[in-house]
Amino acid sequence: MPKHIVRLITLIAAALVVALVAPHLLTVKSFYRFGHYRANAVPEIAAREPVYQTPRYCYGCHTARRAQWSAGSHKTVICEVCHGPAQGHPQNGKLPIPSDTVRLCTQCHEAMPGRPHTQPQIQVAEHSGGQQCTVCHNPHSPKITAAVAKVSGDAAAGKQQASACASCHGTEGISPNDTWPNLAAQNPAYLARILAAYKSGDQTDPIMTPLAQALSDSEVQNLAAYFGSLNCKATPHGKAVGDVAAGAAVAKNCTVCHGEGGRGANPAWPKLAAQKPGYLMNALKAFRGGLRKDPMMAGVTRGLSDADIANLGAYYAAQTCQTTK
Amino acid sequence: MSKDSKPSLAARRAFLAKLGGAATCAGAAIGAATLGVLPSVPAKAEPAADGATFPTKDYDWTKHQWGFGVDATKCIGCLRCVEACKNENDVPRNAHQFRTWVERYVHLEGDDEVHIDSQQDPVNIEASGSETTFRFANRYKDAKVYKAFFVPKLCNHCTHPSCVQVCPTGATFRTEDGVVLVDETYCIGCRYCVQACPYGARFFNEEKHVADKCTWCYHRITKGLQPACVEVCPVGARMFGDRRDKNSPISLFIRNNRVQVLKAEMGNAPNVYYVGIDKEVN
Repeated sequence: MPKHIVRLITLIAAALVVALVAPHLLTVKSFYRFGHYRANAVPEIAAREPVYQTPRYCYGCHTARRAQWSAGSHKTVICEVCHGPAQGHPQNGKLPIPSDTVRLCTQCHEAMPGRPHTQPQIQVAEHSGGQQCTVCHNPHSPKITAAVAKVSGDAAAGKQQASACASCHGTEGISPNDTWPNLAAQNPAYLARILAAYKSGDQTDPIMTPLAQALSDSEVQNLAAYFGSLNCKATPHGKAVGDVAAGAAVAKNCTVCHGEGGRGANPAWPKLAAQKPGYLMNALKAFRGGLRKDPMMAGVTRGLSDADIANLGAYYAAQTCQTTK
Repeated sequence: MSKDSKPSLAARRAFLAKLGGAATCAGAAIGAATLGVLPSVPAKAEPAADGATFPTKDYDWTKHQWGFGVDATKCIGCLRCVEACKNENDVPRNAHQFRTWVERYVHLEGDDEVHIDSQQDPVNIEASGSETTFRFANRYKDAKVYKAFFVPKLCNHCTHPSCVQVCPTGATFRTEDGVVLVDETYCIGCRYCVQACPYGARFFNEEKHVADKCTWCYHRITKGLQPACVEVCPVGARMFGDRRDKNSPISLFIRNNRVQVLKAEMGNAPNVYYVGIDKEVN
């Protein structure tokens, strides 16, 4: 055989040997275990530690929060959505408590085309006047549910009973002075709730407490029905210490519950339109100082100055209580 | 037309597979005859003889077949899934590379064109305030919107993944339990897979210099947890589970809804099932 052919055959044979042996030397052992890939890569990927720990991890310590959260409408939003991944917590320190709740909450709740109608959505510009959402809403159970007491009283029977109230609240529920509130046309459910609170001691007042304690449950209902049925006689008050225009700006924060101009339609909360400015100011200061206890009002009054309170009193006093509809 | 396109496609695949198989067999026979050495490649995973489970001691991948469901009618476009995915999987902190993302489809009145954007649209990046937080700008607030909806997207973990087919090094593969993964130590960063994916689900990770993609949080699902995006979704728009379990969320989702997959005509057989998407979504 010619020499150059022998060389060529040797070369090809050597190349074949290299081609068949090299893969064995160069391929890692697990490579063909299941297919054309390195099987050991799978346990390596599976070994990574989870960053999000799930609510079960949080339950261990935050039992009170868990109870609140799991009973509310945010129960489908896990802790780590707002507080960030819990890996390394508590060893590495606290998890953040979101400071800018307007930004955070609107991520889901800003009214936006494309969001399903079942999603609760707000017009950001109109909803809160730029206040933090947590002023009114508990982020762990954000739905605001005021217990709307059922009022099944008899207005005529209430009228008999109401003669005792007339010296302070006026004969027709229109108070003759600045200190006591008007009661005419107030939401009956609110009146019944407050009277019941005086009766039970949840709310105290040197004058109202003994008066309310003398009432039976049915009398509370009758009175609430009676005052609710009266005409509010739309006579807005002119004189007040505060500034109406300045009050209007602050009052934007109140409209969600108390309605436009304080003519709220929600029976759970009081109407404020044409209310006595002195009474409004006293009530706001009582909420701010903790003398009247209401978690919602405590939150919203916390940031109010005395001037804000005077302005709010003037603004609501100047509103007409007659709904335009 | 479309009625027989899929069977013919499948037939072509099967024919080519047989042809390839025959060629391989012939080559192997010759090779084996000459030298008697061949690497043995088992086609399917079999439980190890010693009873140890793979890939971890508490998890046997032969006992699961994962599937993912998206109910677009529930999605509110809050992008918590996108953020959770970035946190969970150490995805590069920029506004351009995502393992999962959300698209918004908007039809305006008197306009035939559909307006599509996702969180990486410049307007949305600006609304979010930074490249590391995500938010949909309320850009259609004052427009006359005829119809609008959000669609979460992610890797479809196809039964016949194009990306795996084109990978030259075996760095990407489909596991026995139906998840397409990337072996970062074997990826050479050629980006064939990024181009091959019909769904744009892959990207090139500039930090690690490897191809990157959704793993359905393989490190979570093998520990009995849900993928991070499913875990954080506040409205239940994302569902995940084992298709072998007839009562798992995904099995119930597929059974109780008329589901569809994206680009079925590609023949990739995706494993992400959608409800409530429009004809424009693909």
